[in-house]
Amino acid sequence: MNDELFLNERIKVVAVFGEGLNPCRPVRFKRPNGQEIAVTEIGLRHPKAKGKKTVHIFDVTDGQADYRLELDSESLVWHLTIEADHAGI
Amino acid sequence: MLESKTYNREEPMIMHVDLNSAFASIEQQARPLLRGQPIAIVNRRTEYTAIVTASYEAKAMGVKVGMKFIEAARLAPGLLAVESDPSKYRFVYKKLMAILNDYSSDVVMKSIDEGVIDFHQLAIRRPLIDIGYEIKNRLKDEVGCAMRCNVGIGTNRFLAKTAAGLHKPDGLDIIRADNLREVYKSLKLTDLTGIAQQTEKRLNAVGIFKPLEFLDASSETLQRMVFKSICGSQWYLRLRGFETDDREITTKTVGRQYVLEKRDLARHDILTRLHNLCESVGFRLRGQNKVARGIYVYAKTIDHKYWHACRTYELPFYSDKAINALAQQLFSKAPDKIKEIGLHCYNLSSNQDKQLSLFGDYLAREEHLTRAIDEINNRYGDRTIHSANTLEATRFIKQKIPFGSTRYL
Repeated sequence: MNDELFLNERIKVVAVFGEGLNPCRPVRFKRPNGQEIAVTEIGLRHPKAKGKKTVHIFDVTDGQADYRLELDSESLVWHLTIEADHAGI
Repeated sequence: MLESKTYNREEPMIMHVDLNSAFASIEQQARPLLRGQPIAIVNRRTEYTAIVTASYEAKAMGVKVGMKFIEAARLAPGLLAVESDPSKYRFVYKKLMAILNDYSSDVVMKSIDEGVIDFHQLAIRRPLIDIGYEIKNRLKDEVGCAMRCNVGIGTNRFLAKTAAGLHKPDGLDIIRADNLREVYKSLKLTDLTGIAQQTEKRLNAVGIFKPLEFLDASSETLQRMVFKSICGSQWYLRLRGFETDDREITTKTVGRQYVLEKRDLARHDILTRLHNLCESVGFRLRGQNKVARGIYVYAKTIDHKYWHACRTYELPFYSDKAINALAQQLFSKAPDKIKEIGLHCYNLSSNQDKQLSLFGDYLAREEHLTRAIDEINNRYGDRTIHSANTLEATRFIKQKIPFGSTRYL
């Protein structure tokens, strides 16, 4: 019915800061289990208020699964919060 | 009086922009692997939840809005349920609004996924078709490549919306006096915005079965025999492309409903959910700077019965505490075996018009306390402070996007 797996993993991210629609572009991230994922497309980036903090949400894909990355604008820490593998359901 | 063949022949100056299957398109934008797949946006992860929006791929397989997910999944094998994500939709709504506002100062967002631009006041004129295509491109550039919208152009709001619905998805159409009859010929009565089954029956009763027959009916027939009010002559003008809908809609009620997460909830648990709804309604009411003098509560039972109670009061109320006290009082007579509850406040007036009361001190304290709680909730997030009684209910009742209104966005 639903393919989303909710996570709360602190991850290491390589991001490029530039111009355009997404001035901050995560290009690669590493999960605590050592898995490295190369981002092939950023679907949507939107801000979300968490209390008085703003968290930037990046919905991205590596072509195999969709992922949700969250960048805390205050602490500058990245978390992986959703993994969704449509082919796997 | 206008002759029946008189249509509005002015240059079309109203543009209606409508996101295609908005919530589903936004999810497909966010999750590239869902593009081209049948998906349904739902408010809860249960099989019996109703579908809020379906993607075009799902619609092509017979999935309709409002259908239960379990029924839809039978029609569309592999249908994926995606839980609605209000912050994402709010973000796209603001992007769309910013784009539309670049073209005219007269923009009205009709709902979270559609807006109307009136170009009448603009001194510098560009062809509206060019602007329409530009808006489509900007939506792709500024939100994402999977976003599509329908654009309709007409001499009034009704024709612009009708034009926006002609070629979904991603269409752009103009309705003017010279193709008006052609367009009506291709539609059914219920394709017209504002004509649902009940009105269709009333039209059928006087021999009107098609939009063209509706168009050719006289103003007198519509006013005296069909609508029995001024609505008849408004429809006569609206169908011909004359503006009848350029008015601000005032808020008459503020309410919320909730389908219980379980059918066998104890009375006490149902009351805590009602309390949660009261807090939500109170927050929305005060957000509109309104006070209420009436309250309406209802319950639907599992054996399809509808129960309601309402009462109007002399003194206005607006605090969560007051709304909850009045709602709980009315709800004490509600039947058993409830599956859905709801309430709304009515007889609304401006917060400034409050009458002075003998209990001035008490009311002032209540007002200060309510304002302080609202300020904290506005700053630190919805429901940062709420009644302890609703703590458990908050796990189940989530804030959802109201589809037909932009008042709470």
